[in-house]
Amino acid sequence: MIANPRVTLFIQCLVDTVWPHVGEAMVRVLAGLGLELECPTDQTCCGQPAFNSGFRREARVAARRFIEIFETAGAIVSPSGSCVHMVRHHYPELFKDEPQWRERAQRVAARTYEFTEFLVDRLKVEDVGARFPGRATYHDSCHLLRGLRVKEQPRRLLRRVAGLELVEMKNSDYCCGFGGAFAVKYPDISAAMVNDKVDHIVASGAKTVVGCDTGCLLNIAGTVSRRGLPIKTMHIAEVLAHRK
Amino acid sequence: MSDISTEKYVAEARRGIADPVLRRSLASLQERFGRGTAAAYLQLPEGPDLRVTAHAIREKAVAHLDVLLETLAATIRRNGGHVFFAATAKDAVDYCLEVARRNQVRLVVKGKSMVTEEIGLNPALAAAGIEAVETDLGEYIIQLAGEKPSHIIAPAIHKTRNEVADLFAAKLGIRRTTSPPELTQAARKALREKFLTADMGTSGVNMACAESGHITTVSNEGNIRMATTLPRVHVAFMGMERIVARLDEYEIILRLLCRGASVQTIGTYVSFVGGPRQQGDSDGPEEFHLVVVDNGRSRILADPQFREMLCCIRCAACLNICPVYGKIGGHAYGFAYSGPVGAVVTPLLTGVNRAKDLCRGETLCGACKDACSMDIDLPRMLLALREKLAYGDAAWQVEPASRIEGLAYRGWSWLIRRRTVYEMALKLAATGQRLLPRAGAMIRRLPPPIHGWTQSRDLHPLAEQTFMERWRKRKAPSNARVNSEWAKKNPTGEPGSEGCGGGEGLGDEDGRRG
Amino acid sequence: MKTAAEDRFFRRLRTALGHAPDLSRDATQLFAQGPSADELQMLDRIDGRSAADRRRLLERLIEAGTPINLRVVPVFDPAAAREGIAAVVAEKRPEWGEAKSVAAWRHPLIDRLGLEGALARRQVPLRITDPIAPGAGAGRECDRAQRDRQRAAVIASFIGVTGADFCLAETATLVLRNRPGQPRSVALVPSIHIAVITLDQVLADMKELFALLRWAERFRPEGLSNYMSLISGPSKTADIEATMVHGAHGPREVHLFVITG
Repeated sequence: MIANPRVTLFIQCLVDTVWPHVGEAMVRVLAGLGLELECPTDQTCCGQPAFNSGFRREARVAARRFIEIFETAGAIVSPSGSCVHMVRHHYPELFKDEPQWRERAQRVAARTYEFTEFLVDRLKVEDVGARFPGRATYHDSCHLLRGLRVKEQPRRLLRRVAGLELVEMKNSDYCCGFGGAFAVKYPDISAAMVNDKVDHIVASGAKTVVGCDTGCLLNIAGTVSRRGLPIKTMHIAEVLAHRK
Repeated sequence: MSDISTEKYVAEARRGIADPVLRRSLASLQERFGRGTAAAYLQLPEGPDLRVTAHAIREKAVAHLDVLLETLAATIRRNGGHVFFAATAKDAVDYCLEVARRNQVRLVVKGKSMVTEEIGLNPALAAAGIEAVETDLGEYIIQLAGEKPSHIIAPAIHKTRNEVADLFAAKLGIRRTTSPPELTQAARKALREKFLTADMGTSGVNMACAESGHITTVSNEGNIRMATTLPRVHVAFMGMERIVARLDEYEIILRLLCRGASVQTIGTYVSFVGGPRQQGDSDGPEEFHLVVVDNGRSRILADPQFREMLCCIRCAACLNICPVYGKIGGHAYGFAYSGPVGAVVTPLLTGVNRAKDLCRGETLCGACKDACSMDIDLPRMLLALREKLAYGDAAWQVEPASRIEGLAYRGWSWLIRRRTVYEMALKLAATGQRLLPRAGAMIRRLPPPIHGWTQSRDLHPLAEQTFMERWRKRKAPSNARVNSEWAKKNPTGEPGSEGCGGGEGLGDEDGRRG
Repeated sequence: MKTAAEDRFFRRLRTALGHAPDLSRDATQLFAQGPSADELQMLDRIDGRSAADRRRLLERLIEAGTPINLRVVPVFDPAAAREGIAAVVAEKRPEWGEAKSVAAWRHPLIDRLGLEGALARRQVPLRITDPIAPGAGAGRECDRAQRDRQRAAVIASFIGVTGADFCLAETATLVLRNRPGQPRSVALVPSIHIAVITLDQVLADMKELFALLRWAERFRPEGLSNYMSLISGPSKTADIEATMVHGAHGPREVHLFVITG
């Protein structure tokens, strides 16, 4: 059994600025497992928006800063699959011509985990003592699923939540149409995609849709709200922190 | 060159989305083929990792294109065939026209080939007064309708049986029927006449094998065999990268091609053509010409970032899984190649700036990479194209797509290095957002340039306090403290304390309202 | 044969690959100089196949044929194959026009069936596709006239009978290599294709096929021939609303008689 590591919080910018309570829920779950937590409060953004838009110089600026901040960290845990994908897979690529930075990036990348991945694969925890009555369905975020190959971990955690009935929606692994700037630049395509996603959520009979990435959830929640549907959109950390 | 309308991506995408028939057919296509292909990879004796093996085979072939093409050409020439190496689309088309002229060709029967679509062969033949008939049923339908293919393998995916019924009744003079077998029979009859009277048949090349000296074509209908057996002249067109060294390698590529393209273990007809008919043969073409097309591929080859694209075998598996293609259909891509493969290869072949929406109009969801029969990293190349659009690139003659966006990201990169200023900016935005129209607590309308978001969905507003502020405000951060502090601050289970869109009591409110 | 344009094409290609533009490179390392260990094993396996092994391959072939509408008919001897073929000829209606006629390859196994007599009894003419003999000379038809006559005969036939070089059990695939007297159109232009093979021609899969064609002394000289087709069941299309229809352009039906005796 590996000793539980010191955990450094890597808070996705959307969580930091839009849904801080997702970060707080993650803190409650991790603290509840007796982990020592720290959070460098000068962190801002991993650079993914710039990288995905092609602005690699600017993304590199963000990446260098991230590396400097987190270099001395313990296990770096984030409530976002796409940010971890950025650090783990795109940082080394960003620094392919700068061997020193590349090495530093790889060292940081090796210690960076997505939240559910950290719980299930690293801590070997599936039951966090959560209780959440009702029927819920899980949306696979693209970068978490296909970038990090995290598919079963969140489902295993959700199956151990007391009172929660997990139902699968159709095409749970299809992109919700968020794609960062894509949603703003190509609103018609994005809307067609997310409306499909929401249709599938509704058809699943679930009253709550759970995800691991706030980007997707922002998109889904915004659509659910516009369509006036009685569907709750939750980050998995919130479900896992739920006790009643 | 054929017509290119990559600039119209957004408008054409909108049209595709608004077409309920198209969306239904695309959904059913993706359901069967997208899912089916993934399952078929799993059932391979070697498992889905065979795609990795195939990738290495293709990479090796591409790295040795010069010698492989020389070997292939030498064998075909020894067997009495002609091989022409075309630098440009025009060279390829002109060569074909010259062969047609020499043979007094009046009617050409075409086997489905995307490269002939790429080089614009049909309009050139028409301009020369030569009738060219597409013989793949799907291609035939869209040719009769005066349209363009919207899928590499299923070109008429956007047409319903009712549309085909009207089309055939009008163009073939048959009694109107919506029965696919009867419609197919009508096309079979009409095209049989064409096959029997054509002077020239054209085809693409699915893959050539240097070692054996053959090109191969794959089809289910048998139209390519007809088109390459019955007319006096056969002209085959191949993108210069469509070759492997050895037959054992070919076997792997073929198996993946059939699974990726149509969830088959093998296509109905796989033909290996090594040249014209030989002494004593009673059929097969008297003349065989192979046209090897560069048309911009050597530029892709020279760039290590994009060379991987030449591993592509155009199986179209990426179209069958791409959620964007599944919504907008193939016409939006404005060129012979649609879907994820089109999004990468079209800008490279026809100009990155004019195809900028193809490079940026995807979510980078990665489904195409998992579906790719050759394990090609399409998202990586989309990102590389976006980098060219961000900064410009002399080698590819790319201009920066947007100065304003460039300035914005420069500002952003300045801001994210200064947490204090960053937070001040957020505070300002959080205050400013109060002026925006709301529905409950959700923002209903955003100002330009980000108004696209609220076109069809609401936006959760920025939090009053960031996570970092809240964290800093906690007292001494010991474990127990963290736990109790935030447990108190955000008592679990109380309405409004959780739920994205419910965090500030929004989702719930909305839910009740709905 | 090589033109200046071709030269430029290859110079550009080699430059793109980062090689000296004028230097033709050696290709030998890209091609196998002999069979791999796997292939040797495969060749041994093929040679060492027992009757029971062949039976199992036949079962696999029948199983793979079912979903793609390939009718596989095991028969004991050539006479049974002949009767089976005659029954198909009797039962089926021509697709184009009224008169029935059958085209068949000049092929040792087909010759042994004695089809001519069986069909003559039903008043169905059999046209054998003989190799095109060099023209000129007294009383000899020129090549083109021979070819045109044969082409017309094949087009007029509603059934085409061919042999095959191999059959691949895994995918229910017929392998036809093109030779004089065995033209490809017989398996393509008539509405129904009937193929006849013997059980020992059944291989497991395409890997075995390529191993034999590349390395077995008895097949290597001919290799793939000038034109080889792999045929897996009847022609089909799903281009109209993804509805599967058999008989797009090639044969609507394929019957395979496997002589097991």
